[in-house]
Amino acid sequence: MKLASFRKKSPWILHYNAGGCNGCDIEILACLAPKYDIERFGMINTGNPKQSDILLVTGPVTKRSRERLVEIYDQMPEPKVVISCGACASTGGVFRGMYNCEGGIDQFIPVDVYVCGCGTRPEQIIDGVVQALGILEKKTKELEESVRLSKKPVQEGRQLNRRNIADEIKPLVS
Amino acid sequence: MGKQYEIPVGAQHIALLEPLHFKFTTENEKIINTDANVYYVHRGIELACCSKFKFRQVSFVVGRVCGLCSISHTTAYSQVAEKLLKIEIPRRAKYLRMLIIELDRIHSHLLCLSHVAENSGFEALFMKTMQYREFSMELLEAVCGNRIQYDFSIVGGVSRDLKPQVADSIISRLKTFMPQLDELMDIYKHNWTLSLKNKGVGAITKQQAMELNLVGPFARAAGLAVDVRNETEDLLPWKEVGFEMVTETAGDVYSRNMIRLRELYVSIRIVNNIINGLPEGDLITETKAFPEGEATVRLEAPRGELFYYAKGNKTQVLERLKIKAPTFSNVAGMVKGFEGNEYGSAPAIIASYDPCLSCTAR
Repeated sequence: MKLASFRKKSPWILHYNAGGCNGCDIEILACLAPKYDIERFGMINTGNPKQSDILLVTGPVTKRSRERLVEIYDQMPEPKVVISCGACASTGGVFRGMYNCEGGIDQFIPVDVYVCGCGTRPEQIIDGVVQALGILEKKTKELEESVRLSKKPVQEGRQLNRRNIADEIKPLVS
Repeated sequence: MGKQYEIPVGAQHIALLEPLHFKFTTENEKIINTDANVYYVHRGIELACCSKFKFRQVSFVVGRVCGLCSISHTTAYSQVAEKLLKIEIPRRAKYLRMLIIELDRIHSHLLCLSHVAENSGFEALFMKTMQYREFSMELLEAVCGNRIQYDFSIVGGVSRDLKPQVADSIISRLKTFMPQLDELMDIYKHNWTLSLKNKGVGAITKQQAMELNLVGPFARAAGLAVDVRNETEDLLPWKEVGFEMVTETAGDVYSRNMIRLRELYVSIRIVNNIINGLPEGDLITETKAFPEGEATVRLEAPRGELFYYAKGNKTQVLERLKIKAPTFSNVAGMVKGFEGNEYGSAPAIIASYDPCLSCTAR
């Protein structure tokens, strides 16, 4: 199966509100609606982290949603891209320094695309998601290269060990 | 007696916009007990408003309490601050505030309706309602300059004027919206597939609504005539612009949809009346006073009664600010409404409550 090409054409989105004001969330919902319609890029909003490729996070990270955010990020399979939507997800925004806010999601998970604005406009979200597509493609390529080894993995007991032969990887000849 | 299972929903779920956790105890698909956990988004805004920000900046901060009803929060705070400063705002500012509150109510109710349709499994109706909703976002952008987070009310008045060409476009866009709203009303009222998921589901009786202290469309769907617009007249002249109470009797998801749709007709009439009878005058009352004393304000947000309390001590920073959001009053009713329903209809019931948790948790 050409999984990589399908992934490029249909990235699935997972949305998590880490304590924001709902403003960016309704703009993400407006993106799914006919006027902006991000389904023309093959994107579907999905509720399952194990099937999604792009994580859209809104809101400054509150102390209770912090562990859930990291857990959701862990559950997503590689390759994955994280987009922080809005000023408060990127830096903490107006909530920066409040006692229950951490201020920005990039302290906990790696962020690839920052979308600015309070609240973000749908056009900006679409722009950020399209940028994320490029990053997703790049990450897919890196992942595929590291799997195709020039030498067979070592069998250690019941496990296949790829780590001990990592220095023998040669660049691919295409 | 069958075996009981506990099913958690949330904190991240496709049917939820916000982190909200329900733990359903089910027996043979029937929900017999519910546990709600709503405080995932507590940020500490009240403390920051009393320590970090000056009282004129607070109206921009409380707008960020909630993105859906930000104008209600900014207006309620501005009114409570004006009570502390003991100033009267111009009549034109009052009318412009009411205009934006009603436009906001149109977009919020349409969003809720579309969400109910989506969670009932009617994806096409979700798309249709969202398509018809875009006009209200465009109008709000034309008046305030931003699609959400308007920052329109400030302490002493409003920040922008209504341009004549924008007023004309509001009238003409509302005229094109009316047949679309009739179409939506027809679908939500007569569609047989939707009625299977909505009629008689998540019902609350009038007695329960009274005992559980419900507010907003949730209570009005059960037959309880509570609306702050009907009760207060001193801050915003609602009856002058043609407000009318809307109530239903059944109290289920279907009648909540009907309440929202019928309130849209009232909102459209109010917007038309405001634009046709907009008084001339200033936009803002300037003052150099500092807030002093205590005051409370009630305002009808799209989800129900919003309550603000503030206390000032003649300095730039307020001593105490208390926000009570409509969803906070409705949590007890939300838990009650699930009882005896099937687990499969839980997402539609959640959406029909129109919960706003960032308001509740602040």
